[in-house]
Amino acid sequence: MNWESYKSIADTNLWSAILPEFVLVILALSLLLLDMFGGSKGRGLVGRVTMLGLLVLFVLSLTVLRDNLGYINQTTFSGMLLHSDFGQIMRLFFLASSLLTAYLGSVFLKKQGLPGTEFYAITLLVTASLMLLSQSNNFVLLFVALETVTIGFYVLVSYNRDRSNSLEAGLKYLIMGGFSTAILLMGIVLLYGIGSSPVLEGATAHSLNFSELRNFLELNSDNLIAKVGVLLVVAGVAFKIGSVPFQIWIPDVYQGAPTPVTAALAVSSKAGGFAVLIALVSGPFKPMADLLIPVLSVMAIVTILFGNIAALTQQNVKRLIGLSGVSHAGYLLMGVVAMFTVPSAQNAIVFYLITYLLASYAVFGVMAHVSKRGQDDAQNLGDYQDMLKESPFLAGVLVLGLASLAGIPPLAGFIGKLLLFYVAFEAELYTMLAVAIVGVVISIYYYFGWIKEATFRIWKLPLLEGEEPEEPREWPEVSRTARLTLGGLALLALLLGLYQGPLSSLIG
Amino acid sequence: MVDFLFYMFALTTLLGAGSVVLSRNPVNAAMLLIVSFVGTASLFIVLGAYFLAAVQLAVYAGAVIVLFLFIIMLLNVDASRKWKPSYFTMAGGLIAGILMVFAVLHLFKRGENFTTDTLSESAPIGTTTQSFGVELFTAYMLPFQLAGILLLIAMLGVIFISKRTSDKGKEAV
Repeated sequence: MNWESYKSIADTNLWSAILPEFVLVILALSLLLLDMFGGSKGRGLVGRVTMLGLLVLFVLSLTVLRDNLGYINQTTFSGMLLHSDFGQIMRLFFLASSLLTAYLGSVFLKKQGLPGTEFYAITLLVTASLMLLSQSNNFVLLFVALETVTIGFYVLVSYNRDRSNSLEAGLKYLIMGGFSTAILLMGIVLLYGIGSSPVLEGATAHSLNFSELRNFLELNSDNLIAKVGVLLVVAGVAFKIGSVPFQIWIPDVYQGAPTPVTAALAVSSKAGGFAVLIALVSGPFKPMADLLIPVLSVMAIVTILFGNIAALTQQNVKRLIGLSGVSHAGYLLMGVVAMFTVPSAQNAIVFYLITYLLASYAVFGVMAHVSKRGQDDAQNLGDYQDMLKESPFLAGVLVLGLASLAGIPPLAGFIGKLLLFYVAFEAELYTMLAVAIVGVVISIYYYFGWIKEATFRIWKLPLLEGEEPEEPREWPEVSRTARLTLGGLALLALLLGLYQGPLSSLIG
Repeated sequence: MVDFLFYMFALTTLLGAGSVVLSRNPVNAAMLLIVSFVGTASLFIVLGAYFLAAVQLAVYAGAVIVLFLFIIMLLNVDASRKWKPSYFTMAGGLIAGILMVFAVLHLFKRGENFTTDTLSESAPIGTTTQSFGVELFTAYMLPFQLAGILLLIAMLGVIFISKRTSDKGKEAV
């Protein structure tokens, strides 16, 4: 056995290159210890420790760890990870998303009276794997990281275990997730098998490595088995981002899952899928452009139309957000198609994801506050009546969030859509562009339906004699932290629409 | 000698698999599946892939079959009840069977120039347990560690979801 070569492989296992992920895992494990040995006092601290840890890590990643201790544009762990600027941005994205999920979780868990340690620990572990996922350069690591994320979400979706709809959502997500995992794995196996087949030109023993696979696919881009493998991998990822025809699970799972988990599913999980898709399309699958451009184009067009049309009739706000999320996946897919010809489309996708994060968490934050103590209700549009009068702050955040999702100038969502449409125009995807614009117009109808419920006074019948007046709805107190968080999100969504300077220098 | 061993183990595998399909009692079927797996594991040993054989026994004959038995126990399947497959299922089975026959024929046609020597030589990292272990702890260190986190999440989740709560909603020990 050649020990020297193994020594040189082991020397590439540089744990300092994944310091943030490492810290997250340590933090999650210490939360479990705190729960075990800290008594009731320690248990009360868990949520705060999580948020503090995430906040510190976010600030550190933004400043000291910005260049990842010098490991940029390098591969580590024998080619498993590729540290790129894109990976750094996605790391920050997932840290921010996880911080907001933990905050919503603290609000939600207190209302439901659920224990929190497992929620925070799993959220942290899922974040660590999402961060690894966005930097993975090998199908083995990609699969293990994606599976860790998915299994974490199975648990989180059914976290509200005393309610049958949460368990039902968990079971549905488990079955559909297992199905998608099988499809993804089948695709990976086909690519591995055909890539290391000695009969073909350019065969390599490491066909799971992205750069080696790319070299192979460049020589064999019309091989049938390679084509099937690529399509199956894309299908497996399409489940995660929820694009047609793999969007079936979205409305039910979004409705049943606890609100903070729905938010994480809508933002983190979707962004994780797009991080994988961007890494694949800009790397190993680039030679398959002739196959993927038409397939992804059709998927994007159908996704935009389906998401928007299906959301039109929804009365449940979580289903509405879920289906509108499907249409957002469609717009983003349009950006992915544009990436084949215009590589800078990647930046437009990242910017869109950031605006989507801000607006979504603002809306989900309002949702988490509106539901009553001990219940996960207030999911109907009608529950938002009179919101402006009773709770003007929440109504304001909701209006800003929804308008940003709809893409109304001068909010951030408008600039995000503008950039995406611009790159699509540059890539000459005129048909898709037309469909996307029609989709945006349709989406304004249902977003503004919700805004209308929250802001306009509804005329009620005058009371007849002997009729009891309807009991007024209890509106929640909004704490100072909530004002700071939600107000900050709404403000950012507004400011990013007016001035994108610092962010554009961050994305590049 | 090798030829004789091959035919013996191949026969074990095929007979085991055949009786799984024909057996009416689900528990018997699961047990017969073990026979088939042992046959496959023996074939791996004949090929010189000892590690693969051990994994085959530990994972499939051990873990997967126990899982099957658990499910049979929990679902309380009635052995005497006759199950009639729909035409759709039968058509699916027929198509899968025909495809399988073609795949095997194709293998026989293409596989003439493959011998066991070239197979073990073409394996990138060798076939011994040691080489797998060294590879796992050098090149595949990160996914290996991440798999540990995956199992931790699964364990946490199972404990949390199945934990018993008392009426007051407080955790019972």
